[in-house]
Amino acid sequence: MREIKVYHLYPGHLNLYGDRGNMLALCRRAEWHGINLKIIPVEPGNKINFSDCDLLFMGGGQDSDQKLVAEDLKGRSRDMKKAVEEGMVVFAVCGSYQLLGHYYTTGQGVKINGLEVIDLYTKAGQGRLIGNAVIECSLWDPPHTLVGFENHAGKTFLGPDLQPLGQVLSGFGNNGIDKTEGAVYKNVIGTYLHGALLPKNPRLTDCLLQNALTYKNQDDTLQELDDSLEQQAHSAAIKLAGLHRSK
Amino acid sequence: MKTDKVTGARTQNEALNKRLFILKALCGVWIGKTLIFLTRMLGRGGTTLPGRIALLIAPDISTYLSGQLTEGSLIITGTNGKTTTASLIKDILNEAGFKCIHNQAGSNMSWGVASTLVEAASITAHLRGEVAVLEVDEGSFPGIARKINPRAVVATNIFRDQLDRFGEIDHIRDSIQRGLEALSPGGFQVINADDPSLVSLQNSSNSVRWYYGLELDLPPYVFQNTGRDVKTCPRCLTDLAYNNIYFAHLGHFYCPNCKYKRPEPDFKLIGCETNAEGLNKLQIKTPEKEIEVTYPLLGTYNLYNVLAAVACAHGLNIQEDIIEKALEKAVPPFGRMEPFKKDGKEVIMALIKNPVGANEVLRTILDQTGDLNILIAINDNIADGRDISWLWDVDFEQLVTVINNLSNVIVTGQRSWDMAVRLKYAGLDPDQIQVEEDSAKAVKAAIAKTKIDNKLFILPTYTALLKIRRSLNQMGLGKPYWNGEN
Repeated sequence: MREIKVYHLYPGHLNLYGDRGNMLALCRRAEWHGINLKIIPVEPGNKINFSDCDLLFMGGGQDSDQKLVAEDLKGRSRDMKKAVEEGMVVFAVCGSYQLLGHYYTTGQGVKINGLEVIDLYTKAGQGRLIGNAVIECSLWDPPHTLVGFENHAGKTFLGPDLQPLGQVLSGFGNNGIDKTEGAVYKNVIGTYLHGALLPKNPRLTDCLLQNALTYKNQDDTLQELDDSLEQQAHSAAIKLAGLHRSK
Repeated sequence: MKTDKVTGARTQNEALNKRLFILKALCGVWIGKTLIFLTRMLGRGGTTLPGRIALLIAPDISTYLSGQLTEGSLIITGTNGKTTTASLIKDILNEAGFKCIHNQAGSNMSWGVASTLVEAASITAHLRGEVAVLEVDEGSFPGIARKINPRAVVATNIFRDQLDRFGEIDHIRDSIQRGLEALSPGGFQVINADDPSLVSLQNSSNSVRWYYGLELDLPPYVFQNTGRDVKTCPRCLTDLAYNNIYFAHLGHFYCPNCKYKRPEPDFKLIGCETNAEGLNKLQIKTPEKEIEVTYPLLGTYNLYNVLAAVACAHGLNIQEDIIEKALEKAVPPFGRMEPFKKDGKEVIMALIKNPVGANEVLRTILDQTGDLNILIAINDNIADGRDISWLWDVDFEQLVTVINNLSNVIVTGQRSWDMAVRLKYAGLDPDQIQVEEDSAKAVKAAIAKTKIDNKLFILPTYTALLKIRRSLNQMGLGKPYWNGEN
């Protein structure tokens, strides 16, 4: 049986915006695809064996939790970077997404160092960027929409060669300025979207599972599932965001 | 002599300002009252718009009106339990013979409070009441407190709620902190001793603070997946430890690193028994003596609400026998396990708005015997919270444990499809989930499908609750909520 090992980073601390929904989506869909999903929860202080990890899941957290996590991960960014270069799948939401970059400058001007896994930086803006969001995601050709909800004070700016996850059709995205949302580097996906994101965007969930299978040289063909309920929720979210297009 | 002139001019100015202030308040009251009348004619609650307009005309209208209260204002804030606690305090005050003003429709932002006060005022802007019992939204609390300088503040708990409005849990705490600073001199605070986040609030106004907490040996209920909202010590960020945990992060906490720990409560719940009629007998230890109260509300979370109400009443020097009498007669307030009857079918409506509250509601429902019919109504308007992520933190997986007793599951509301997906991922068969976007149709269908002698539980978010209640009223169930039959 195909197997994916998911390292769930700090489930006790990074679980702010329905991240449990993202984990649940990965679990359920893996089950429906006949994949054995092994979840390894990682708490602060625990060792991570990055060579054993197929998919690293990092959720959102409050500022106080994030500081704790940044401290804890500091010494391991080199191992993580190595695994990322080899194709380890990383899915990071909101606070964790920021953490993947060079640094985060808080509203008080304090600079928190990131993991330097991907080329981006974040600085706190005035007020929060909150609301429903729809993006056109270029992981597929032709592109498909992703729907979610964003709520962040940080404004993230991507380095010149870093690909965004998609273009904003409705909402703010990375910074509310350049119409980009999220980032993609190799098999790393970072995003501000939650809602939870994965249940309503089954295509993205399957993409993560598929990448994890390919990374560990396993048969990667996933069969189509009956996603009519998910698609209805997806379309309803597009409508609620004031857009009238699907797919 | 020059100074005299200046002082004279200033006095004149002040007098003018005062008259202008009263004139504005009068206009605010008149227009507000007219709008309340008109919105009611349209079959609406009139708890939002009239207050908004009145505040536009007279921004200090709440100050002017609440200033007339001889017994002052009491504010109940926190994530969960506001409505029930406020309703119990109002019941006790009524029993004690006070004339209460109360925002019972749960419109708890600044305009809701303004609407409530305007409605209670005469056309000459005189307030007909002695004391205001106001449940106040955590985010609106500082603003409202500054306007009305409450005599007492009751803070129930802080859970993960509408994070899109408040940002993060830490911000809710800061908001409550700022509100507490506006307590009137000689006022008092009633704080949940079991909530590590609330206990860390500073008492900068040096007012009297009463703590309340549970001291029961209940088997702790462990949520399958939901973590606690507050995990670390507010002082040193070390993971908190517990000697006893009641639900979510409420319990007997202590920090293994610094000295931070649950304070000794002044009001303790030391015993709880349910008798044959389903009434709960509670033993409460006040600073002076032990009292026993009987109350008819379902759910563990209501233990905290009753205790908070008793502590508040005690702070207002109300006699124990009056408290006991009032609690015995208490009924569930608006939409909080509120029962209706229709053709031999029992309809019970319970607001859900955040994971902890919803889990407690689900737990109470699953304790019922017999077939279950459930209607879940999810909206994402501002009052509901625009972000529906919280649905994923609710243990809907609990429903799978009673799957054989689930006769009907219907979902409705603006986010009905999200809810349907949630239930699918909780483990329900998609064919078992009926989606009906229109809530009026959904309510009719749900009642029609419920068999005689069976129960239908309706679990709506806030704005869905208002809408569904209107549908129920039209079907002859209950009275409009602004009539306050409770």
